[in-house]
Amino acid sequence: MSGAVDLSPRVPAVRRIGPALGSDPLLASLVVLVLAAALGLVLLQPAPYLVNMVGQLAAFAILAVSLDLVWGYLGILSLGHGLFFAIGGYVCAMHLLAHAYAVTGTAPDLMQFMGWKSLPAYWTGLTSAPYALVLALGLAAAVAFVFGLASFRSRVNGVYFSIISQALVYVAMLLMFRNDTGLGGNNGMTGFSVLFGWPMGSPGVVTGLAVAALLTLAGVLVGAKVLVASPIGRRMLACRDDEARLRTLGYSTTRLKLGIWCLSAVIAALAGLLYVPQVGIINPRVLSPDLSIEIAVWVAIGGMGRLGGAVIGAVAVNALKFWLSAAMPEAWPFILSGLVLAVVLGLPNGLLDLAALRLRPASLKPTSLKPTWLRRGGGLR
Amino acid sequence: MVEGVRRLGLVALLAWGASLMMPPALAADAPLERGPFAAALCGDGAAQTKAVEAFLHRAAEAEAAEIAWAGAALRALLDRRLACLGETALLLDRTGAAEGVEAATGTARPAAGGRSPVLGLRQRALVETASGAAALLTGPSVEARRAGLSILERRIGAVPEAFLLRAASAETDPGLRASLAAVAQSAALSSPDPARRLAAIRAVSEAPSGAAFSRLSALKTDAAYGSDPAFRSALDAALARVERAVSIGNGLAVLYNGLSFASILFMAAAGLAIIFGLMGVINLAQGEFIMIGAYATYGVQEVLRRLAPAWLDAYLLAAIPVAFLASAGVGIAIEALILRHLYRRPLMSLLATWAVSLFLINGVRVAVGSQNLQFAMPSYVSGGVPLYADFVVTWNRLFAIAFAVATLALTLVILKRTPLGLDIRAVTQNRDMAACLGIRTRRVDRLAFGFGSGLAGLAGVALCPIYSVNPGMGANFIVDSFMVVVLGGVGTVAGTLVAALGIGSANVLIEPLYGAVAAKVIVLAGIILFLQRRPEGLFAVRRRR
Repeated sequence: MSGAVDLSPRVPAVRRIGPALGSDPLLASLVVLVLAAALGLVLLQPAPYLVNMVGQLAAFAILAVSLDLVWGYLGILSLGHGLFFAIGGYVCAMHLLAHAYAVTGTAPDLMQFMGWKSLPAYWTGLTSAPYALVLALGLAAAVAFVFGLASFRSRVNGVYFSIISQALVYVAMLLMFRNDTGLGGNNGMTGFSVLFGWPMGSPGVVTGLAVAALLTLAGVLVGAKVLVASPIGRRMLACRDDEARLRTLGYSTTRLKLGIWCLSAVIAALAGLLYVPQVGIINPRVLSPDLSIEIAVWVAIGGMGRLGGAVIGAVAVNALKFWLSAAMPEAWPFILSGLVLAVVLGLPNGLLDLAALRLRPASLKPTSLKPTWLRRGGGLR
Repeated sequence: MVEGVRRLGLVALLAWGASLMMPPALAADAPLERGPFAAALCGDGAAQTKAVEAFLHRAAEAEAAEIAWAGAALRALLDRRLACLGETALLLDRTGAAEGVEAATGTARPAAGGRSPVLGLRQRALVETASGAAALLTGPSVEARRAGLSILERRIGAVPEAFLLRAASAETDPGLRASLAAVAQSAALSSPDPARRLAAIRAVSEAPSGAAFSRLSALKTDAAYGSDPAFRSALDAALARVERAVSIGNGLAVLYNGLSFASILFMAAAGLAIIFGLMGVINLAQGEFIMIGAYATYGVQEVLRRLAPAWLDAYLLAAIPVAFLASAGVGIAIEALILRHLYRRPLMSLLATWAVSLFLINGVRVAVGSQNLQFAMPSYVSGGVPLYADFVVTWNRLFAIAFAVATLALTLVILKRTPLGLDIRAVTQNRDMAACLGIRTRRVDRLAFGFGSGLAGLAGVALCPIYSVNPGMGANFIVDSFMVVVLGGVGTVAGTLVAALGIGSANVLIEPLYGAVAAKVIVLAGIILFLQRRPEGLFAVRRRR
């Protein structure tokens, strides 16, 4: 731990779960709600489209939590998290295609499109799900590591980092739009027919996917909570509020930021991995800079710096989007921009401010969750 | 100028060729006799061929009136408006008319009982060529003459060189003269006389272009390339020369496009850099301010079209103040309504400007529609001057470059020579100290934001003649302009300029080698690597914290 003495008692992570959740009733109730929803899906067997929607929302919530970890707790706003989501999604799609090809023997559209006789060498082994999982998470971590190392080492911070991460995802989108990358180009990849040997559209698979997404969400929430409640979490907050001071105290902020950044990328890839089989398609549009900004919007609307806020924001915005982009597609962009402006101007801590108002009518001013670096001048470091 | 030299060379070549080729017997031919010519047109295939071939040979020195007369008769024959009564030919107004005029004399006569001669395949081609030649020489309009030339081109072998020389010297339209020169050149290249061919190859290589290159390379398949060493070496030398010139010309064109792209980037990024340096606000709506500038330009064009069509050509110039004020007005409104509350929270202001850009894009989409706008191209931004080989200095890009230079001058004057500029620089360096000295920093912020937005509006005017204008156009520039700001350093005009030039030309230099996407990837990787050395960008403003 780079010279600093860790004063906290060394307790195993499992035994920290209880106290961590106990300190955050909102998060604890969310975890219970997520688990209850998973149970409800299994027991009540609602309509498949509803199950599918719940599963997609859970994937988005995981993605939002991954961004909140670096933005809310470390002060690093990534406008390129769509990249890691897409890495998970693309590897998952490759696995599904390779698997379906091995099981059914029908060549995927992609092969005919590219004029391939067989899948190229870099698809080797993707028929195996564990390998695909390791590849997706490892690739996301590796990309995050290289990019993070280059940025954090030279102390690229704040909006600078945001802009460069946006450029990264933009370039990745241009790259994937090319057909010669061999990953479907413009059309992306679709036509997944088999998952672990079961036909893709069957109610059992749909429910299974949604439940998997919900359980993963619960796991990610608990794990992230334990992390931010741990000594590392205190260091994250310290780094967010005054990186220079933490560094002067002898902590390696580069190592801290790099570690959390890679973890966040891995969680985002996990979300992509769970998302793609549920929607049945992946194309380069998940890499558009607008989608990556939208992730930040979910977190901002829900309330950054609170893991529960990220979940609430992702679910609320996306549920609204599912509903409105069908009901009145013309109006949705206006509503979204209005929401963002309202939250940014009126509720600096997102929807959680509303909850704080209702819970504590005595103090009409919302409790300030605003970190000091936002309050102090400049902010341009 | 180059064009003039090329033409002189061609005329000389033709004159020389004509003096070689002109058979003396033909030059002394008797003038065209109308009666026998008309009779021959009514005769059988052999008679037709003989008469028309004789006409073609004489066309180089016959009188214009005579050629016009023969052209009318040939046209009539092609259109089946020629009625033959025995040996006399009548010209009709339309096929099957009851009355016509005698071709030879012009007297009116009833056409009853006349037959219209049928042309064989060979004869039809020959008659078409001859009538095209007549049209080229005596056609009343440029279009008619151009149509004549395009007919001639198909059977260029049947046309004597002297005729092309005459047509070239008589032609008044420069465009058609250039096409004539090209036709004459290709005729000379395939001429059976080796000396003529060599001269033609030399002439072609003196005016290098991509077209000249392909024309010369086509000769490599010629039989003479294998058998005639003189021909072979001349052709190889000419090819090497043209190839070098063409690649230099293409290099110049690439640099020129890079310069114009950099100009647009600079205009988009200059406002960003000022705003970012002053307030730390990342304005994701900057691309939409460009869009507003372009739409304001469109509005000015439509207003002029309605109110003063005579002044329509001036719309681009008239739009300059309008676009600036429109974008600046929207910018100031956004600053006053939204960003003012977010100055201590740069990441939140980033999201707020994203919401604004979403709102503006969709607002315009609903109000105007999402199709590309149609712009009339004023004369001063259409066309260009061919400078060297295939390199053409196009006016629309030159307009953008000149515009960027003017914007640069304006920005520098405002920042360095006006009280507002002094205030902006002071607040950029140290906001608190500037406030202590009595500068109203909030007012400076607002004006600077308006100024920066207005600069984006100007970029919108400049790219109207180059890029397509639609509600989503801003997204094409925003990522690149942010890279310019990051690379150049915050709040410096010089840094923005250097970075815009660097990124603009790097993009276009890499593009032809590895493709547009690879260019972006390489440029981004280069910027990230560069920031390892200088995280503050090329030119960092010294500031106190």
